[in-house]
Amino acid sequence: MAKDEMDNITENNPLDEQAKGIGEADILVGIPSYNNAHTIGHVVRAVQAGLAKYFPEQKTLLVNSDGGSTDGTKEIVRDTTVDDFQTILITRKAAPFFKIVTPYQGIPGKGSAFRAIFEIANTLKVKACAVVDSDLRSITPEWIELLVKPVLEGGFDYVAPLYQRHKYDGTITNSIVYPLTSALYGERVRQPIGGDFGFSGKLAGFYLAKEVWETDVARYGIDIWMTTTAIANNFPICQSYLGAKIHDAKDPGADLSAMLYQVVSAALDLMETYSAVWKPVRSSKPVPTLGFQYDVGLEPVNVNLERMIDRFSLGIKELGVFWKEFMSKELYNFFTKLTGSRKKTFRIPDEIWVETIYSFILAAHRRVMNREHLLKSLTPLYIGRTASFVMETLDSGAREVEEKIENLRSTFEAKKDFLIRNWDE
Amino acid sequence: MNIFQRIIVEPFEKCYEKLLYFLPNLFASILLLVIGIFLAVIIRMIFQKFFRTIKLDKFLERSGIVEALSRSGIRESLSVLISKIIGWIIVLTFLIVSMQNLRIPTVEQLLERFFLYIPNMFIAAFILIIGYLLSNFFRRAVLIASVNAGIKYSGLLSKFVKFTVFILSCTMALEQLGIGRETILIAFAITFGGVILALAIACGLGGKDIAKGYLEKKMKEDNKGDGINHL
Repeated sequence: MAKDEMDNITENNPLDEQAKGIGEADILVGIPSYNNAHTIGHVVRAVQAGLAKYFPEQKTLLVNSDGGSTDGTKEIVRDTTVDDFQTILITRKAAPFFKIVTPYQGIPGKGSAFRAIFEIANTLKVKACAVVDSDLRSITPEWIELLVKPVLEGGFDYVAPLYQRHKYDGTITNSIVYPLTSALYGERVRQPIGGDFGFSGKLAGFYLAKEVWETDVARYGIDIWMTTTAIANNFPICQSYLGAKIHDAKDPGADLSAMLYQVVSAALDLMETYSAVWKPVRSSKPVPTLGFQYDVGLEPVNVNLERMIDRFSLGIKELGVFWKEFMSKELYNFFTKLTGSRKKTFRIPDEIWVETIYSFILAAHRRVMNREHLLKSLTPLYIGRTASFVMETLDSGAREVEEKIENLRSTFEAKKDFLIRNWDE
Repeated sequence: MNIFQRIIVEPFEKCYEKLLYFLPNLFASILLLVIGIFLAVIIRMIFQKFFRTIKLDKFLERSGIVEALSRSGIRESLSVLISKIIGWIIVLTFLIVSMQNLRIPTVEQLLERFFLYIPNMFIAAFILIIGYLLSNFFRRAVLIASVNAGIKYSGLLSKFVKFTVFILSCTMALEQLGIGRETILIAFAITFGGVILALAIACGLGGKDIAKGYLEKKMKEDNKGDGINHL
C-alpha cells in the first residue's frame, strides 16, 4: 500500500471543515500530545498498523490533539506512516485511513485534548474510539484491537486497560484509586487511571455533553473522570489485558504531592457528583476481562526505604497538628507511635490506611481547610504506607502482591459504612 | 450699683443665659446616648440571632480565625464577638453625635479630626486581619511543601515566612495610620535586608562547610532516590 493511498492528512483547518472533508468514520483513535517528539512516531505507527491489521474494512481516523508542542511533535505525526505493511504481515488493502492533526482549544491539559477528540468523534459519528498516550514505548498494533473490538463486537461502551506492572509501580493506583473506586461504585476496574481507553461513539457524545470542560477535569483527572462517569451512568464496561506498559520516564522533578492532590481531588469531585450512586453500593464485582494474559519481564524498581521512613516521620512531626483536627485520636496516636519504629517493624495495616484515606476525604468534603493544603499534607502518610507495602512484599511474587491489593480493596469495602455515616454529618 | 451690676450680676446673667442655652443640648445629648445604648443592645441581640441562624461560627471555624483568636486568649464565640463590636460601634456613633450636639467648638474640632482619621483605622485593621490570615496561609503552604520536599527545618522555615508576611502587613497598617511613615518602612527594609544579608554571609563564610555538606548530602540522597512510578 502506497503512502499517498493511506494518508489523508488535514491540518490547520478549522475542525468542522476537516471533519466535513472526511464525512463519517467507523473508528477513531485519539492521541493527546505535548512535546512528545521522541515517542509519538512509534505510537502513530502502532495505531496505523493496528487499524490496518484488525479493521481493514472500516473507515478509520487518527486524531492528534496537541497542546502546542514546540519540538516538532505535530510534524512527526503528519509525516509518520507505516511504509511497508508486508513486513507486519498485512497484505490486504485497507479502507481509507485519515489523520487529523489539530491543536486543542481551551484550558491547557489532557482533558481539553480529549474534548477535541470527543468533538471529532461526535461530528463524524464514529462507532468506536480509543485514546492512547503519546509517550508509550510498549504499544503494539494489538492494543488497538483490544481497546476497540470489545466496543464494536462485544457490546461494551467502555474498555479500561489492564497492564502487567512491577509490584512497586502504580502505588497511588494500588493503594488509593483502585480500592477506593471499587468500594465506592462496585466495579473492580484495576486501572481506573491507566491512560489508554476504548469507548463507544455514544459514550463520547455523553462525555461531550457534560459541563465539566471549564473545570479541573480539563486540566487533570480526565482518566478517573471517564472511568467513573462510565460506571456511575451504567454503561457496560470491561477491561482488556494489554501487557506491560512502558512509557517515557516522567519528569524526575514531577511533584509527588501534586500528583496525589490531583488524583484524590478528582476522585473527591466525582464523589460529590455521584453521592447518590455510591452510597447504596455495598459490595463490588469483577468486570469482564478480555485478552490473553501472559507474564512479562519487568524492569527492576529502586526503592529507598530509609528515606521514605524519614519523610514519614518528618511529616508526623510537622504536620500532625493539622491532622489532629479531623483524625480520630486512636489513628493519630498510632502514627505518632510509629515514628519511633525500626525499619523492620514499620507497618501501616490496611485498616489504618483505609481509615486515613476516609478521614482525609471527609475532611476535604467538610472543607476543614484549604483542599490543596489538606490533600498535599497526605503525602508523608502515603510515603509511609508505600514503605510499609514495600517491606511487606519484599519477597512476594506478582500473585501474592495482587492478593494483598485485593485484601486492601475488601477493607475499603468493609469500612465504607464509616464513610457513609460521616458524609452527611 | 452699676459697678456691682457690671462686675457681678452681668457675668452671672450671661452664664445663666449660656447655661439655659446649653442645658437643652446637654439633656438632648444624654437622651441620644441613652437611646444609642438601648438601640445597641437590641441590634446586638438581633445580629447574634442572625449569625446563629446562618451558622457563622461553623463557617469561621473552618477558616482558622477561631483557632487564631483562641490562641490569643479570646474564648467567646465569634458571632458574640462581632455582635458586641457592632453594638459598641452604635454606642460610639451615638456618643459622637451627642457630643457634637453639645456644640462646644473645641470638642467639635477634635471630633472632626477624629472622623477624618476613622477610615484609616478601619483600613489598618483590615490590613492587619488580611495580613494575619495570609501569614497563616503561607505558613501552612510553605510547611507542607517543605515537609514534602524532605527539608528538615520545615517548621523554622514556615515560621519565618509567617513572621515576614505578618511584619509586612503591620508595616503597611502603621503606614496607613500615619505613624512614623518613613521610619517604619526604612526600619523594615533595613531589618529584612539585614536578615537576608546575615543569612547570605553566614552561608557564604561561616557556614560554607555546613552548606556544602548539606548540599552534598542532598545530592547523594537524590541520587539514591526511588524509581517508583506512583500513578
